[in-house]
Amino acid sequence: MTPMSTNRRLFLRGMGACIALPALEAFLPGRAMAATVSGGQAVRAATTASGAPLRMAFLYFPNGAIPNQWTPTGSGRDFAFGNTLAPLQALRHRVQVISGLDHTNAQAGPDGAGDHARANGTFLTGVRVKKTAGSDIRAGVSVDQIAANAIGSQTRFASLELSTDPHQKSGECDSGYSCAYESNLAWRSATSPLAPESNPRLVFERLFGSGIHGQRGASLAQRRSQQRSILDFVMDDAKAVAKQLTHRDTAKVDEYLTGLREIEQRIVTAENLKATTDPNLPTPIGIPAAYDDYIRLMFQMMALAFETDATRVSSMILARDGSDRPFPEIKIAEGHHSLSHHRSNAEMIHKVAQIDRFYAERFAEFLTLLESKHDADGQTILHNSMIVYGCGNSDGNQHTHTNLPVVLAGNGGGVLNPGQYLQANSAPMCNLYLNMLDTMGVPTLDRFGDSTGRLASI
Amino acid sequence: MRPLHPQSLSRQSWVFALATWAAVSLACRAEMDDAAQFEREILPILEDHCYQCHGDGEEKGKVCFDAFGSTAELMKQPELWVHTLKNIRSGTMPPAKKDRIPPADFAKLEQWIKRGALQLDPQHPDPGRVTLRRLNRTEYRNTIRDLMGTDFRTDEEFPADDTGYGFDNIGDVLSTSSLLLEKYMLAAEVIVTRSVPIMKEGSELSKNYDRFFTRPQVPEDGAERVKYAEEILRRFTTRAFRRPVDDRTVERLTALAMESAALPEGTFERGIARAITAVLASTRFLFRFEEVLPESDPQAHPLLDEYALASRLSYFLWSTMPDETLYQLAEKGELRKNLPAQMDRMIQDERCEELIRNFAGQWLQSRDIASVSIDARLVLTRDLGQEKEMGAHAERFRRLAHEIADAEMAQDLKRGGALLAERFKLGKIFGITGERFEFGTALRTAMRREAELLFGDLLRHDGSVLRLVENDSTFLNERLAKHYGIPGVEGEQMRRVKLPPDSPRGGVLTMGTVLAVTSNPTRTSPVKRGQFILTNILGTPPPPPPPDIPSLEASGKTHDGSERPLREALAMHREKPQCASCHNRMDPLGLTMENFNAMGSWRDHELGQPIPNTGGRLITGEAFADITELKHLLVTARRGDYYRCLTEKMLTYALGRGPEHHDITTVDQIVSDLEKSDGKFSTLIRGIIESTPFQRRHRTSP
Repeated sequence: MTPMSTNRRLFLRGMGACIALPALEAFLPGRAMAATVSGGQAVRAATTASGAPLRMAFLYFPNGAIPNQWTPTGSGRDFAFGNTLAPLQALRHRVQVISGLDHTNAQAGPDGAGDHARANGTFLTGVRVKKTAGSDIRAGVSVDQIAANAIGSQTRFASLELSTDPHQKSGECDSGYSCAYESNLAWRSATSPLAPESNPRLVFERLFGSGIHGQRGASLAQRRSQQRSILDFVMDDAKAVAKQLTHRDTAKVDEYLTGLREIEQRIVTAENLKATTDPNLPTPIGIPAAYDDYIRLMFQMMALAFETDATRVSSMILARDGSDRPFPEIKIAEGHHSLSHHRSNAEMIHKVAQIDRFYAERFAEFLTLLESKHDADGQTILHNSMIVYGCGNSDGNQHTHTNLPVVLAGNGGGVLNPGQYLQANSAPMCNLYLNMLDTMGVPTLDRFGDSTGRLASI
Repeated sequence: MRPLHPQSLSRQSWVFALATWAAVSLACRAEMDDAAQFEREILPILEDHCYQCHGDGEEKGKVCFDAFGSTAELMKQPELWVHTLKNIRSGTMPPAKKDRIPPADFAKLEQWIKRGALQLDPQHPDPGRVTLRRLNRTEYRNTIRDLMGTDFRTDEEFPADDTGYGFDNIGDVLSTSSLLLEKYMLAAEVIVTRSVPIMKEGSELSKNYDRFFTRPQVPEDGAERVKYAEEILRRFTTRAFRRPVDDRTVERLTALAMESAALPEGTFERGIARAITAVLASTRFLFRFEEVLPESDPQAHPLLDEYALASRLSYFLWSTMPDETLYQLAEKGELRKNLPAQMDRMIQDERCEELIRNFAGQWLQSRDIASVSIDARLVLTRDLGQEKEMGAHAERFRRLAHEIADAEMAQDLKRGGALLAERFKLGKIFGITGERFEFGTALRTAMRREAELLFGDLLRHDGSVLRLVENDSTFLNERLAKHYGIPGVEGEQMRRVKLPPDSPRGGVLTMGTVLAVTSNPTRTSPVKRGQFILTNILGTPPPPPPPDIPSLEASGKTHDGSERPLREALAMHREKPQCASCHNRMDPLGLTMENFNAMGSWRDHELGQPIPNTGGRLITGEAFADITELKHLLVTARRGDYYRCLTEKMLTYALGRGPEHHDITTVDQIVSDLEKSDGKFSTLIRGIIESTPFQRRHRTSP
């Protein structure tokens, strides 16, 4: 064992030991923060004015939405939901529908076909993803990861990536684009997508440990101590190996090393925090057969992660763009994507609208769940969150990427103005992201993706 | 080192300068020759056959040969020339209605593109660049099975790997997130707990003792214990890394083991288990590092060392680590010498099932048949043109349940009886009682097996790859035979069945798996089927549709809302010029398979109307009357395209990277060998294994 690595281990242990000192409590992030609400504190990242945790989430649904059923009527505070978003009615005071947001980098431009891959790949990155079947995939760091980088060390997990679309198709993906653009929303770097977890059991065990209620904390602690016991070896080994490599291979080992450092950071953070909550719930068995149950369960996992302050940043792909899933749950036998190219056929439009609404209902259930849970400051978790629900395609029939269907839910801890229908009139989607990053307390960015500024009055 | 004599140094540098000058001037001369040849011999061919659309101001399909200012500039457009070569070879260009390029000119053009424009050097082919490959989840699972003797379900525990170029083993695309690393670390713990015995006796695992521990007894003496730990860990790590391990690594692992053994509950075995866990989470286990042999010729790219070659072989043919035999040959430096024999042995080994499952499974998409969404009831009622009626029947069927309940409440036996009879009759229409409407797991599995068995049979018996497309027998069990309407097959067992002479089956194109995975949930998709043939058999995938044009097939409705048969709907949009050029290529191929519904069973009707003649014409002009004739054309007139396509796909899979233009030399060689051997499977596999990109790589250090 080299002296350096021994030092790091001692450091890790030392950090764990420090936590017991009450004098340091004021500096503690995470749940401790949420519990010790006090006025007049300096603004902390990812924290509301009242001291509670502030969360952000991005939820992606596929293939756009039927515009005239999605778009509300009226404007400002005086608006009415269309048919698709009607399930949000009870939470009207917590959501804002924002029209007129664009992702122009998802438009065909010089790249030709592949709108689904681009819709997905651009959604959180705001960049024009490189058209390649694999040799040189390239997007950009996604907005959630910008936030995770800045504030992620306060929680056990910097971010949590989820999906309810586990199937990987064989063969080519969309029109010459690698499948990586469709199966991932979050990008750690321009070349490293973050694969989402699609099995609710594995999400739960990762968050809270395995085994039955009461034993999970110990299993997590064991997991950490196991990780720690081999980290030094594998990290030093990888560094030694990396020295002998050529450029592209080095990038692969760097990705591995970055992952290891994140795990190391996670161990430090977890040991800084007080005992992890162990929800008095059974561990999910696996992926439920019915799609609505599946989505509901996955949303529960996200809600649990927020409630226990395991993370403050999350994203979820309900289904990848271009998904051709049929919906036997609502008696629709045709595939979603096939239907979305409806060419004004009334029956097909009707079916697509039903699917749009199916997703919106699940979203409404999720928001209801967050609204039913309370933070230490007495507000609901939904109040202390910013949740984007949207798609990188606006009209699935036309493959357009302007005027995207977007809902922003939550009060952002009191900073946002929900309960309105906001018409942004052709602003980059990335402008909204800048607002969110500001609210999240991420050091001010001048630009993100193709942003041109911030949105007013969200 | 002895200092060089000044004189010899100067002589050396002089020789070097001269050599450099000679090389540069030769290269210049060669370039000039190529340019001169272009102007003298090639330009006239292009002018005659291509310029009408791609020159003199015309730039159809954004392709134009005379917009580069100079010949030198034109020659620096590899993408244009790769594209040109592909199109003239597949006969896509010049279009069928124009004159063909005469054979002599064709050969000249082909040769010049390869040597002149692309500068391919057949003496020293460029092996291309393979990016460091992480084990994908299939390879990880198999490697763990062979190394540790335990099955770890990566399909449940790990996220699916992203795919590129149609396969999930592409180095550039396989990324490693911290989530995945966490999973690797956790998996290592689980696997080690399951397989490494932490005491010699009394444990379930003790039968695995010899796999890891080499001595009957752990020595008492401290120094001897350390030595023993080194011995164990060197042996294990060498296997896990698939190549000899350096002393420093062994020392560090031993230190880790001893440190862990010294913990309060530690034992020697627990210490070893800890070190093994670290090995399983380390880069050299999770990634495939390759080293090269020294190469004296500066022009040549170095050969992979034998350990790297052993891994390339085993991951290509078995999706797992090299076995003892391969490893020992590599150790002795005798693997390369024994390649043909080893290749034969490996193909006959049952682990070769992995090549079938993973290569054929992705090439033919038979891996997807288990999950493809098909609504069997709608598919069948649609064929019969009874969607509306069936809808009404279904509604009536539901309502009857209530009416029967009401009648029972009212104790109206007569009415109740009549209603029950009606419900029974309707039930029969739906086939609720029979298996007619089922597209269940047993049938789907049989379909996948049919494709795998045919591929495996040809592979193991060194049959012709042409027989994958055209064949007079196939593999069936009772369920699948019934689905295909072939009598006389009983039982669950899949077996070879000689097909009736007039059967349209035989070959992958009329297998249930291909027919179903290229269908939509409620109906066939001639476009997807045509695209499948172009992409996976002919190797000429159509360019993607222009942006903002929705999939035209999606709407088959007429103005009055009734549905048109697909054939008519497709014919309508082929009339639009921007659709015609590609759909004229795809649609006739897909339409010739219209007698097979979305589940791959035979049908005579679509929407209640008879399916008309399914003949058509390839874009290259050859006519076919039905799918049987089309298959025959694919293995005769278009055989070269098919050989090339299959070779490129398998090369992609074997190398874990997308095709590059240097590969043209390799692929051309294999295609020409396939022509000579009538498509023998071994020619293909051996051609790939012996090829430059498989055997060599760029120098690892600059």
